[in-house]
Amino acid sequence: MLERQNTVKLTSIAQGAAVVAVAAIALTACSSNNNSSGGATSAATTTAPSVDYSSLSGTITAGGSSAQGNAEAAWITAFQAQAKGVTINYDKSQGSGGGVTNFLNGSYDFAGSDSPLKAEQTTQAATTCAPGGAIDLPIYLDGVALIYNVSGASKLNLSAATIAKIFNLQITDWSDPAITADNGGTALPAGPITTVARSDGSGTTQNFTNFLTGMAASDWPYPAANSWPVEGNVSKQQGGSAVASTVDSTAGAIGYVDHSATNGLKSAKVASVNGIAFTPEAAGASLTDGAVPAPNGVQGDLSLKFDYAKLQASKSAYPIPLVSYAILCTQFKNATQGKLTTAYLGFVASDAGQQVAAKNAGSAPLPAATLSDIQKSLALVK
Amino acid sequence: MTDSTAVDTSAPGVSPDRNANGGAPRNSGGTTGAGKAPSKVGDIAFKGISTLAAWLIMAILAGVAIFLILKALPAITANWSQNSELNEGPTAGWANFWAYSGPLIFGTLWSSLLALLMGAPVAIGIALFISHYAPRRVAGVLGYLVDLLAAVPSIVFGLWGIFVLRDFLKPLNDFLNSTLGWFPLFAGTQQGDGSNVISGTGSTILAGAMVLAVMILPIITSISREIFLQTPALHEEAALALGATRWEMIRLAVLPYARSGIVSATLLGLGRALGETMAIAMIVSPGLLYSFKLLTDGENPQTIAANIAVNFPIAGDLQRDALIGTGLMLFVISFAVNFIARWIVARTAPDARRRTRSRKVKTA
Repeated sequence: MLERQNTVKLTSIAQGAAVVAVAAIALTACSSNNNSSGGATSAATTTAPSVDYSSLSGTITAGGSSAQGNAEAAWITAFQAQAKGVTINYDKSQGSGGGVTNFLNGSYDFAGSDSPLKAEQTTQAATTCAPGGAIDLPIYLDGVALIYNVSGASKLNLSAATIAKIFNLQITDWSDPAITADNGGTALPAGPITTVARSDGSGTTQNFTNFLTGMAASDWPYPAANSWPVEGNVSKQQGGSAVASTVDSTAGAIGYVDHSATNGLKSAKVASVNGIAFTPEAAGASLTDGAVPAPNGVQGDLSLKFDYAKLQASKSAYPIPLVSYAILCTQFKNATQGKLTTAYLGFVASDAGQQVAAKNAGSAPLPAATLSDIQKSLALVK
Repeated sequence: MTDSTAVDTSAPGVSPDRNANGGAPRNSGGTTGAGKAPSKVGDIAFKGISTLAAWLIMAILAGVAIFLILKALPAITANWSQNSELNEGPTAGWANFWAYSGPLIFGTLWSSLLALLMGAPVAIGIALFISHYAPRRVAGVLGYLVDLLAAVPSIVFGLWGIFVLRDFLKPLNDFLNSTLGWFPLFAGTQQGDGSNVISGTGSTILAGAMVLAVMILPIITSISREIFLQTPALHEEAALALGATRWEMIRLAVLPYARSGIVSATLLGLGRALGETMAIAMIVSPGLLYSFKLLTDGENPQTIAANIAVNFPIAGDLQRDALIGTGLMLFVISFAVNFIARWIVARTAPDARRRTRSRKVKTA
């Protein structure tokens, strides 16, 4: 009996030792991997679009905005299919804030963010990227869609002012005259409105409130922010897909989500804003008609902001566009890593890359002018 | 359960089938085996390892506390009304850190309390059923099922809450509001035109607390069950012999004996509820406010853990410090709950034991 206990103990100790050994091997494997990835050389010397992808190898570490998360996943799959030696990790669980933080402390090759770096972050980035600076490249275009669930209303158009009043709880019934007026006099079936917003801080909320402050300031008393400001009968849900599913399952609900999250809705539908439905063309038009450059002072930076007066004046532009950026240094610590990252972002900002995202993530392809600007900026990156 | 071993030795009359049922190995070889240690080297090594483990846990705990305090300090000491970063996004509009964390602390306690009110009686009922009413085979299966519940990830509970429970509760919400709407708990949100509305989506704190209640069931049930099973059989038999019914026997013999155990089981459940994140974040539509209303979309106080989870990704550096500061508050609350649990156990346990002993004398 005693002996048997002893052998049992011994084997369990041996097992423990084995586990430790395996873990140690795994750890060394990891670290050696990292070393070799940095040391691998690339023959690519030409500008990004004409890089021979098969000659690339290494690992790109990135993360941030979850809005561009699905697009990044599609880009990574498409890029890695051509560049077999490259591994790209994009961590969308970080969110824009986490992406920028990790970029600024030097652990990311590029960050995905729904807003460009703020002035003080650009200053901070000058240290991280020394002797260069950080540039913001708009690589992802989408729109904030308004989804509603009113049975019997297959089409809905809302003006900016009406949207502001609905989300500020001034209009609480679907048969309200303001909604009727927006729809050419056709009244919707009466019923209480439930507004659905995001409970988590979000770039979608930021873009939506940008639109509300920009186009309906007289009906929207709050500042633009990444967290939802209205209190009262508001249902707040965590994440865009939760907003979509909640609107979908609640009669009388209206909510805002990234347009790419509107696939698969059953009872909910997408409303037009100011008479303009979301289409890739309309989103592209909002970039060409409504975007004004807001450079951060670093050469090659393409930060932009939307001029809502211009958007409103345009007859074809979707009024609530959403742009997400890739943020990277103009000077990488490791030139190979810089080539690798620009090769990847060069693919992202190509026609092929934009089509991949449009097909798999439901985003809108960027206009050709923007894409060529991005390629010019990437050519400056060392 | 520190007192369980003491109880065990003082209760030799525990029937063998109970023992098997309880599932807890009584480790009968433990004490005898220790006396015949095969080698001194092993002894020293294991003493070293276990001592190291004990110190390690202290070091980890201290490390966590120090991390929380150091990270939280900038946000706690910051001037919230002047700071530009704290005045935007999730931390906007608060005079200072304490004003910000107040509603969160309230929300954490309130949702946990609701969960406890709904969960604890059911859990103790299940435990009693398993230990004293169910046929042995049913008890075994039921025990496994309840333990299995503990293994379900909270995100699954969250999804269940979103897709099933939320819609399922809507008729109940309407019923409660239309019949008991005068009672503040079941009132709706006051709207601009004076009307009252309750949640249309079902993302109420009631739904959230109900899911929390299910999540704390297993821990309360399994600990209470263990305690109930340890009730000296002599007490139970004596109660029955004196003509007590099954319920009277439980009331006279089992519950007094198990009181401190039930309290500590409940408080452990409370600990679980306090720290629960995903399910609450997914189900409840939160706000930073003080409200007792159960059926609204807009007046559910947010919990600390869920608030950290939903706002951490977007938060800037100082905002993160503020969120970590609320985490420190949660740490303190959890510590306080555990402290109170221990205090209650320490206060009631000797009392309970004395009573059972004196009763044993009486029955003997």
